[in-house]
Amino acid sequence: MSDEEHHFDNKADAGASKTYPQQAGTIRKNAYIVIKQRPCKVVEVSTSKTGKHGHAKCHFVGIDIFTGKKLEDIVPSSHNCDVPEVTRTDYQLIDISEDGFVSLLTENGDTKDDLRLPTDDQLNAQISSGFHDGKDLVVTVMSALGEEQICALKDIGPK
Amino acid sequence: MEQQDLQCSMQAVEQSCAALHVSDPGIRSSAEATLLAFRKSPHPFYACQYILENSQVATAKFLAAATIQEAAIREWTLISPEEKSRLRSYCLQYVMARVETSEGYILSKILSVVAALLKRGWLEYTQAEKASFLEEVEQAVAGRHGLAAQRFGISLLEALVSEFSLSTASPMGLPAEFHDKCRASLEAGYLQKFYAWAFDASVMVASKALEGQGENQESAICTVAIRLMTQILNWEFRGKLAVLGKSRASTLSSSPASRKSSEQLQLWHDLLVSPAKVTWILNFYEHIHQKGNAWLDLPLSVVVRQLIVLMCSLNGSIFPTDGAGTQEQHLQRLLNCIISWIDPPEYVISAVLAGTSERQTGTLSLLSSLTCGIIKASCVRESEEPSWTYEALEVLLETWTVILQPADLSQKVPLPPSGIEAASAVFQTFVEFEMKLSESSALDEDDADDMAAFSDEAREDRLSAVALIARTVPSVSLSLLTMLVSKCFSEIRQSLGSETTTRCLEQLHWLTILSGHVLADPGEGETPTVPESILAVSAEPATHPAVSLSFALIDVAQQSLDATFRTTLSPRMMEAIVWFFGRWVETYLMPDHAGRGPSSTPSGHEGQEVSVGVLFDGRNALNAAFGKDGGGPAVLEILVRVALTSLTAWRGEQVLQEYVSSRLLPALVRRRNVCVQLLSMGSWQELATVFARQDQMLLSLSDSVQRALSGCLCRSAQGLANADAANQLSRWYVKDLLMPMAASLAEFSGRKDLATFSQQPNVIHQVSCVLERLRGAARETIPRTQKAIFEVGVSIMKPLLVFMEIYKNQPSVVYLLLKYVVVWVDAEVVFLEPKDTTTVFNFCVQLLSVYSAHNIGKVSVSTSRSLQNEAQTEKYKDLRALLQLLTNLSSKDLFDFALHADENPDVAQVVYLGLNIITPLISADLLKYPKLCRQYFTLLMHMLEVYPEKVAKISPEGFSQILGTLEFGLRQQDVEVVNMTLSALGALGVFQYQALCKGDDGLGTQSRTSGGDDVLSHFLKLLMHFLLFEDYSNDLVEPAADALLPLILCNTALFEKLKQELVQRHQDVVSQERVSTAFHSLSKGIEITSTIDRSIRRKFRSNLFVFLNDLRGFLRTR
Repeated sequence: MSDEEHHFDNKADAGASKTYPQQAGTIRKNAYIVIKQRPCKVVEVSTSKTGKHGHAKCHFVGIDIFTGKKLEDIVPSSHNCDVPEVTRTDYQLIDISEDGFVSLLTENGDTKDDLRLPTDDQLNAQISSGFHDGKDLVVTVMSALGEEQICALKDIGPK
Repeated sequence: MEQQDLQCSMQAVEQSCAALHVSDPGIRSSAEATLLAFRKSPHPFYACQYILENSQVATAKFLAAATIQEAAIREWTLISPEEKSRLRSYCLQYVMARVETSEGYILSKILSVVAALLKRGWLEYTQAEKASFLEEVEQAVAGRHGLAAQRFGISLLEALVSEFSLSTASPMGLPAEFHDKCRASLEAGYLQKFYAWAFDASVMVASKALEGQGENQESAICTVAIRLMTQILNWEFRGKLAVLGKSRASTLSSSPASRKSSEQLQLWHDLLVSPAKVTWILNFYEHIHQKGNAWLDLPLSVVVRQLIVLMCSLNGSIFPTDGAGTQEQHLQRLLNCIISWIDPPEYVISAVLAGTSERQTGTLSLLSSLTCGIIKASCVRESEEPSWTYEALEVLLETWTVILQPADLSQKVPLPPSGIEAASAVFQTFVEFEMKLSESSALDEDDADDMAAFSDEAREDRLSAVALIARTVPSVSLSLLTMLVSKCFSEIRQSLGSETTTRCLEQLHWLTILSGHVLADPGEGETPTVPESILAVSAEPATHPAVSLSFALIDVAQQSLDATFRTTLSPRMMEAIVWFFGRWVETYLMPDHAGRGPSSTPSGHEGQEVSVGVLFDGRNALNAAFGKDGGGPAVLEILVRVALTSLTAWRGEQVLQEYVSSRLLPALVRRRNVCVQLLSMGSWQELATVFARQDQMLLSLSDSVQRALSGCLCRSAQGLANADAANQLSRWYVKDLLMPMAASLAEFSGRKDLATFSQQPNVIHQVSCVLERLRGAARETIPRTQKAIFEVGVSIMKPLLVFMEIYKNQPSVVYLLLKYVVVWVDAEVVFLEPKDTTTVFNFCVQLLSVYSAHNIGKVSVSTSRSLQNEAQTEKYKDLRALLQLLTNLSSKDLFDFALHADENPDVAQVVYLGLNIITPLISADLLKYPKLCRQYFTLLMHMLEVYPEKVAKISPEGFSQILGTLEFGLRQQDVEVVNMTLSALGALGVFQYQALCKGDDGLGTQSRTSGGDDVLSHFLKLLMHFLLFEDYSNDLVEPAADALLPLILCNTALFEKLKQELVQRHQDVVSQERVSTAFHSLSKGIEITSTIDRSIRRKFRSNLFVFLNDLRGFLRTR
């Protein structure tokens, strides 16, 4: 998936594009981190020293939460890293348009129409078939660094 | 059979053997099928013989030999006795005729065929038959039929011994009992003879064996003969004849040996321990030894060495009960020889040059010079692989440890002066060597393996062994260490340029670690005391070697507080310092009973015992230096500052901070009198304030450090005045520590913009930190802090429920939250009043409902496989936490079951709800995680034992899920899991049985599965099969009995049917009789009443033991 597809209007949730500094030594496995301007989930952290009597450094292996690509970084453990704000918001699914866009109901009653169906085939199929079967579906949208993606769904019972 | 047929089948076998190596799987599998069919074919003996004689293909011959064994054992009852003995002598003749050929492994296979045939018929042959056969073997072994026959005679015995030994026996399709009888027969009647024959044979050929290059026939005979001897010494002797009882010496002496076995013992004694025999073996090796290095690796030398090692480990009743005199002589004899083999020639030479021509050195001096020599030899830096010097040093250090610290402390003897000299020499050489090594390796970049340096077991073992040596010469070793520490440190302070400093740092690092090992023991759950030898050094406080060394290191610690000097030090150096003091504090700092250690006399007699001359014995000196009224408080102040500085000034140095929070601080708060001191100190208060303020400095520590730090701070409350006010004071103290954090959680949860605010990473970070700290505090709950921790917990119940909701998409926070609640409930549940219990239970129910609302039926998909796996792991961890929570909650009624039976009705309700939530999430795959599996079954057992009626009401899907997991649990390897499963089953059975007696519903419709089978009958069948035919630990018989009894009572008709089935399996009347008698003994004395009381259970347990003893060996075949 190319980056452009995600560059929709982000003004509505500007906070989601923020990052926060956090000391590298405190970032644990399963936390989020920005590596090479991409939001990642840390799947491996190891610490080592620069020589026997040197200082500690952290070696992170992260997985891009949108593309699934593996990224790595080495940071002195007393330095700060950027931690992305990753939010997940639940919306009720109202409609799927023919060109692959979904229509979602926001909390305050507006609709949100700027998201495509996910690229993942399994989830995609589950959403489409569930929707056509007339089930009540709630989708979870994950957003970070101004990017958004549907990442989960939940069936809250048939209509 | 016609010649042609034989030819055909030989070709078929040969071709198939060749086809086994073809890469095409189709051809290979058809070849395998052919070969299997051949092995299973009836009466294949002639075909096999034909192959053995005519085939050129080695594998075909091997297969033919194996087939003879298999077929003969399979068709044993169908073959005539003549045929059997024909087969046996055919095999023997075959071997004899081909001894010169090179196909050794086929011949030894055929010998093992003979051994198997002999064993199969062993209990059928008369004594005379066995005797005449063995006489032939004896003739051969004695060399009357030539060298080749001699060699194969011995090999046959070897095969026989291995076939009769239980662990190496081949399957015969017979009860285990049979194998045991054969073993006993060989042990009682023959092993001794075999040993004697082998010994005589080796004596006979020994001189020839030593001629030439060790490759002649005689040396081969000698090798097999001695190998047979080692094999016999390795035999697992049982019962009264456990002459070599390496572990059973005690059971032997308690049972008076019968006359026959005492004769046997005498014979064994003559064979193994008599001076002539032992000396012969030793001399024989001496001769080999003199032949030079080329001989030392020959198989012959290897087996002789093994034999000598086995002779050294002889033990038990083979030695007459003469106060170990004979054993001592025996060992002395062996040791004298062994020493002469390792005594380094250059040592002898230097002794001669020095004028002391006769060897007056003892074993210890020899050991010392040998150790020093090895250490020096390893100075040449080793390559990647552990070299011989490494291995030799391991062995030598182990020897030192055994001498200095015998397993039986009463046997410890003081070292002679020569021993003390020897020990100091070893210690000095070792330190010298390691200092050089540290210096040269300081600049290495191989940081990866150094991270685990302290936990590295090999290194730890080595240091402990060296420390043991050092402690035998405390004055020498401690002074040496003090001198070196001061020297290194002053060099560092002069800071002569970076590389030199690094070298000195590495040396000081190593010295610190070694000092820690020499001065103190690790403790690990016990209260360590000052090593006796260090205590025994009497000196003025200022000059006591242990005090000097400690102060040298305290000096390093104090200087590390200086901000400018700190830049010269390294994290690694600080880790060593913190590690050292973590260990040192428990032994030396402000000991509890100042002046009176466990080994000193009660105060009343002290005056008489202590003479004026030893006024300053070690204890007094140490007290003056580090006691409460001596220098203790000053040292403590430095250490707290070191801890605080390490946590704040060494940013990001996680290993260091882990050491502070998991070693140094816990050591400081472990004892009450140290805590008293701590609480009065400004530095400790400073630490507490920074902590409670949620200062950014401490928030940047990692999770585990947060927990440990918080726990240590709370624990120090035990130092508050020990009066009535103590509880109140502790409560204030703990609340002062924790309430600010609880308040900030409450404040966050009340914010209007919570939805967006809570998702900010810095907020998540702070919430996680606070949760970790609360968990750490709850984990260290002690009675006097319990109230405070409970109140803090109650104050954040609401916020936690809010967070559970708001962070439903942040699994890491959810997990921390669950973990905190688990630990908190675990810590509090024993103390709770009924009113508080209700509060806690309601909270847990709400928490569980929120969790399940967000997690049941949710499908999440991620683009990345590894992210998907991570999500799975998170689920698994959540589930474990939930199970733990339920188990903790359900333990409540164990504590006050009798008291508030009516007032705590909600226990069952909570756990019932929990089970409803959890059972759909549990799957067989998840139960493969051992920890989860244990937790799940613990809970299940408890639920079924206490609330079977609740469980019976669970949804049908849930119930069948539970039954499925019970069946799964029965098949686990983990004894504890099986045990719990059995208890659960038993509880289910009792419930149903009592319901039946009362005419209640019991399990009602639940008891029928969808197939219509009775559930409990199914388990009865399973359990019977399990008990009779499967492998399990003996510990399981008792719980199995408790489960079996109610199951039988529930369905006696089925039990009767199972019994009939087992009886019908046997054709002959005797066996049938045996099975029914066993079943009879099972139900003997069991009266059927409506309740199953303890006496019946006990009776049934012992019945089951008898039953299984009678039947298992008989029914199971091997």
